[in-house]
Amino acid sequence: MLIDRQKALLFAAAAAVRLLLFTAFPSLPSLLAGRVEVSTPVTSFKRLQEGLFLYTHDVSPYDGGVYHQAPLLLPLFSLLPNTSYYPFATNLVYIAVDLLGANALMQIAESGQSATTRLFKSSRNDLRWSSVAIGAGFLFNPFTVATCIARSTSALANLFILMAMAKASQGASITFVFALSIAAYLSMHPLLLFPPLLILCYDARATRSRQAPNAFTFTAIYALGLVVSLGSLLYISSVLTSSWEFLASTYGVRLLLPDLTPNVGLWWYFFTEMFDSFREFFLGVFWVHVASYMPGLTIRLRKQPLFVATTLTGIFAIFTPYPSIADAALYLSLVPLFRHLFPLMRYTFLASSTILYASFLGPAFYYLWIYAGSGNANFFYAITLVWSLGLSVVVGDSLYAALRDELDVERPELRGKEVKRI
Amino acid sequence: MPPAEGADVPPTPNSNPNIPPITKSAITAMRHPPPESKESLRLRRYVILSFWAVAIFIGLPIWWKTTAIYRAELPLQIMTDWADGKICRPVFPLRISVEAPTLQLQDAHNLIRATQHALDDLNEFSAHHLRLMLADAPLSAANASQQVVISGGPGDRSDDEDIALSIRLIPIETGTAPRSILQPYAPTLDVYYSPNQIPPPSSTGSPLATFIAHELHKIFAEEQTLLAHLLSTTSNVYTAKMKSLSSETVTELERQSTRTLKYAPTYHLTFSLFSPTFMPSSWEIEAALQQYLSPLLETFSSISNFTVDTQVQLYATFSPSIRQPEYDENLKAWTLRKEDLSGFINAAEWPLSPSIGVSPTVNFILYVPDQSQSPLLVKESGANSWLVPQWGGVLILNPAVTGQSPMTLTKDALTPAMHTFSEQLLSLLGLPQSPASLPLRLSTLKRVRAASLLFSASSTLGALARLTKALKSIPIPDNVAKSVDTAIAHLQQSCSDLRDGRFQGALENARIAETAAEKAFFEKSMVGQVYFPDEHKVAVYLPLLGPVAVPLIMAGMKELKSLRGR
Repeated sequence: MLIDRQKALLFAAAAAVRLLLFTAFPSLPSLLAGRVEVSTPVTSFKRLQEGLFLYTHDVSPYDGGVYHQAPLLLPLFSLLPNTSYYPFATNLVYIAVDLLGANALMQIAESGQSATTRLFKSSRNDLRWSSVAIGAGFLFNPFTVATCIARSTSALANLFILMAMAKASQGASITFVFALSIAAYLSMHPLLLFPPLLILCYDARATRSRQAPNAFTFTAIYALGLVVSLGSLLYISSVLTSSWEFLASTYGVRLLLPDLTPNVGLWWYFFTEMFDSFREFFLGVFWVHVASYMPGLTIRLRKQPLFVATTLTGIFAIFTPYPSIADAALYLSLVPLFRHLFPLMRYTFLASSTILYASFLGPAFYYLWIYAGSGNANFFYAITLVWSLGLSVVVGDSLYAALRDELDVERPELRGKEVKRI
Repeated sequence: MPPAEGADVPPTPNSNPNIPPITKSAITAMRHPPPESKESLRLRRYVILSFWAVAIFIGLPIWWKTTAIYRAELPLQIMTDWADGKICRPVFPLRISVEAPTLQLQDAHNLIRATQHALDDLNEFSAHHLRLMLADAPLSAANASQQVVISGGPGDRSDDEDIALSIRLIPIETGTAPRSILQPYAPTLDVYYSPNQIPPPSSTGSPLATFIAHELHKIFAEEQTLLAHLLSTTSNVYTAKMKSLSSETVTELERQSTRTLKYAPTYHLTFSLFSPTFMPSSWEIEAALQQYLSPLLETFSSISNFTVDTQVQLYATFSPSIRQPEYDENLKAWTLRKEDLSGFINAAEWPLSPSIGVSPTVNFILYVPDQSQSPLLVKESGANSWLVPQWGGVLILNPAVTGQSPMTLTKDALTPAMHTFSEQLLSLLGLPQSPASLPLRLSTLKRVRAASLLFSASSTLGALARLTKALKSIPIPDNVAKSVDTAIAHLQQSCSDLRDGRFQGALENARIAETAAEKAFFEKSMVGQVYFPDEHKVAVYLPLLGPVAVPLIMAGMKELKSLRGR
């Protein structure tokens, strides 16, 4: 009962904060929606409105070359009253999205999969935060709030990633596959989360039932399920827009990076400088780089699939072509699930100060470059490097901590002693 | 850092999780670390293997696919053969029809055969030969096929043009005979003869036949020289067989060709009126052009098209770099020195745009000097007009005798200027000086242009073939291959048109071939990588891929070593 009351209180408070921000500062949503840190070409709400306008006027939403988001968002948002005049309904939807995301995150926390899995039990598994605290960490994270106020569609993608994780950790197969396929449908790269989450789901089901299901048929069925649900989503989209051209305008843009609007990631600057003849090659290299972490991590940390999935979201926040602070918000909200690793992490101060430094200086440097004209693109790029460095430190440090934690379980006599890599 | 408590700290079995270690510091362990568990060993191999698998099965194909230089297949041998002149030997068979309505058919045949003999004896240039035939010989079996070709379409222009020249044999009773008159505005040579000059059927030569042959040879002499010169300079195959041209002829031809504008399907003509004062402020140029120039341009339309614009510029002084005109007592005129003529055009201030659009511009300048400096002439020759090679012509229009220079230049006042400009235009376009008949000169120009386009397109193809062979690193897109195919097809067409005497078709095909060849040669995307040597690729690849590759390779090698050691 106590938890439920706390949870209700938390949700009410989070909703109130967002409502307050929406109503007290009516220009704030539009201001944030124009910030490159929050809105990327593939998640911007302003671009969504453009697509919506074209869609409601029976023109292909991809005609203008502005809209790069999934087609199914259009009928959803066209049901809502026009945002320019009645933003309230849209705001409520985004608040609900955040609350649902927090709910999913709390379900993950309650499942306890972060510290205790089927094959692994952390020696510090008593060290954990309550689900309400973790939910609060998500809901009151300024990055999450900014994403919600800017009404970026990455809030939706985050929601479905969290839901996929929650359902996988509960072993709810159908909802897991469906949530993951929607997440992949909305922003493509969550598809890479499928193997670790599949293992997570397998472990959850194996724990529940007496006998572990056959791994091969399990994988085959789930992969088929993913293909079917993704395929049907794409098919519905093609029926909706009555052509397959949306593929090139949505996933094609994510893959080939034609829009070099600055963002907090590492790609845009690199590709503005790239020789034209090597552009395709380095696009391939960058994508292979993002994807190459998945198999290695999944194999090495087979026993801690939720941790792999979390680390992958961190890698997405750094290395995907169009990252925004929404991706970082997702990762930073998932990290507290691993409270038991915190004592083993060595660079918490460095990482947190770097991220804080970058989040304050980023907008300032962007202002210097674009508006004041006293800086240049290198200013902003340097600060995005620092931002990515901060996130990478968190990723690397938490990886170290997870491995150290495994070692402690394997060789309890080494607990608390210094180790050295050979 | 060595552990403080002592030697009983073994290293972690697996602290390098997914990212293979970059540096391996050799540690001096006091005791050997405990052996790694089988499972962790296997895990590590899998991890390393997974990274290698991604690199090899995804990375390598991407590298292969994205950095491969696409080279469309080009018919290199054919292109080289064209450039070397191995495929097409341009020949210029000219058909000359003979109209002899008053002659007996047999006599006419005899005459033609005799003339043909005489002509062939005179001709030293095998590629260019004249063939005589009887214009209307309905009964002649030998000429029946030609007759069909000729009468195929009475109104058909191209068939009409197949006849380069027609000879009209006109019998006269009095006056000197034989004599000939070349019609100035029709491709017709009138030959007057007295009936007794018809050769008897048995004889092989006759004065009339020899006369006609000589006349024809004279008419086409300049064309032969032009073509011979063209063939000898552009294609080395003919050099040996060519009749040797005298050095003066060659110099003269060179001079002409430096003057001539490069061939273009469209020329832009600009007529400008410049005056150092406010007068004259208008001219009846439209009417003058209509009357004097339009017919000329129309006759040229089978070779090139023209667009025309005009302008009036007042208070236009000539450039300060040249010496001001001096008054010459003998000539009673103001004079410009000949060496100053090149600086007469004030390029800095006179608005003469170098080129409008893609087509080259030909400028014609009418300069009306100030009242105080009139008449203005060229000192050495007393002339008032000159031609600027490959650029245009200038004419100084001195107002009639004395008195006020008029506010408006009438059409009549412009007449001499228009005549001069027409002459200059013809010269700039490379129209030969002789013969006197304009249609004949035009058709000569057509043949010369067709041949030169043919050669320039062929040599462009050859250059492209050499470029392709020499630079292995440039990409060749599909549209280059397509252009080359177009060029070769039209070259072939043009060559066979020439052989069959269809010169208009030959010119058009050669023009298309030339355009396609130029387009293929100057394709922009081909040159992007020319200045990108292989060393630069190291600079592109290493900074990014080096740091990634080193740990991958080191980890892979270490695992291989341990596998072998076991």
